[in-house]
Amino acid sequence: MNVHISTLNDFTVVEVHGRVDTISASEFETRLLAVIESGASKIVLNCQGLDYISSSGLRVFLIAQKKIVAAKGQLKLCCLQPTIKEIFDISGFSSIFSISADLETATKT
Amino acid sequence: MKMIFSLLPVLLFLISLYLLDNFKLVSRKTLLLCLLWGVASALISYYVNNFLIEQLSLKGETFRRYFAPLTEEIAKALLVLALISRKKIGFAIDAAIYGFAAGAGFALAENMFYIFILDSDTNLVVWILRGFGTAIMHGGCTALFAMILIGGIQREKNFFLSVLTALFVGYIIHSGFNHFFLNPYLQTLLIFIVLPLLFFIVFQRSNTMLQDWLEIEFSNEIEMLRMIKQGDIKSTKAGEYLISLKKHFSAEVIVDLYWYFSLYLELSIKAKRNLMLKENGFPLIEEPDIMDKLTELNQLRRQIGKVGELALQPLVRMKHRELWKLNQLKNN
Repeated sequence: MNVHISTLNDFTVVEVHGRVDTISASEFETRLLAVIESGASKIVLNCQGLDYISSSGLRVFLIAQKKIVAAKGQLKLCCLQPTIKEIFDISGFSSIFSISADLETATKT
Repeated sequence: MKMIFSLLPVLLFLISLYLLDNFKLVSRKTLLLCLLWGVASALISYYVNNFLIEQLSLKGETFRRYFAPLTEEIAKALLVLALISRKKIGFAIDAAIYGFAAGAGFALAENMFYIFILDSDTNLVVWILRGFGTAIMHGGCTALFAMILIGGIQREKNFFLSVLTALFVGYIIHSGFNHFFLNPYLQTLLIFIVLPLLFFIVFQRSNTMLQDWLEIEFSNEIEMLRMIKQGDIKSTKAGEYLISLKKHFSAEVIVDLYWYFSLYLELSIKAKRNLMLKENGFPLIEEPDIMDKLTELNQLRRQIGKVGELALQPLVRMKHRELWKLNQLKNN
């Protein structure tokens, strides 16, 4: 799993590549929470390179969402691969997160 | 002061346990029910104990050491046993909290009885010992009963034997406590140090077990349901297995088996998702059709019968935890 952080418009874009599973979830959590704790309140999780996500990974998304909502910020997901999007749809997590089709749409508002 | 020292420690202990429940497995309604049951069980024990003392003509000390622990542990454990039998308890965490609540209710009623009915005007130290020692012991014994029983069920041990083992452990500790083998101060201190430590270890292990359980099954079930929804199930091992069942079952039963499997996966995923949402303090997603789906699953389960369930065992094992998981959907 690799994480790349950049900024676009007012948003901090966190690109995640590879697998977010039991082994990599804690590292992903540390990186993501560090971004939130650095003061970024508008975050886009670019999932274009995300190949696999397990329940540990989904929990990191939930933790991040909770922290950002508490800080009155925004967390958006974008560019989910069809299989990952299906995981979100099947599990019902699509209704918890704001999901955009592409990075441009996600960073618009 | 008597009230504070004799009643508060056990309640604070219970609240601490409740707060340690990361996954919010415990429902407040059931917790209150356990607490009330504890009070009722104290009342039941009081009458049963008095009856037995009269019938057996035993000395008070002998009765307090050997008989009272048995009647009291059985009385406290009855509701916990019912909750486990009805699959309302799934892990050591909720088992411990519900069990401790029943024991705490018992201890509260017993200490109130000593304060108000017997009007005991004893030294404050006695109330401190009762509050920190006896009361915590009552909660701890029932919690241990619940944890040992759920552990036995999870390891698929004989249910009756697990009940007896769990009851025996609770009884031995309770009886040992009533023997005062140790100095009462030391005994109270020991209870107050050992029990929190034990709960901490059990909660840590149970949390890890719950997380592993979510991790392993959740992803597999989503993948399987995804394949079913895409019509790709035939290419999986599960699909091949379902097809192989054609030789043994009629076409109607195969259809029922297929829908049962598919619906089970959907509900199981939702139950686990809810656990994750609760763990992170999110409101649960409202799904008005959930009860209909649970009814449908039960209907399909009846239709496929025991033979169908056995045939599906390599894919779906409807054991205690699976039924508990589905029960959680009803509670939400």
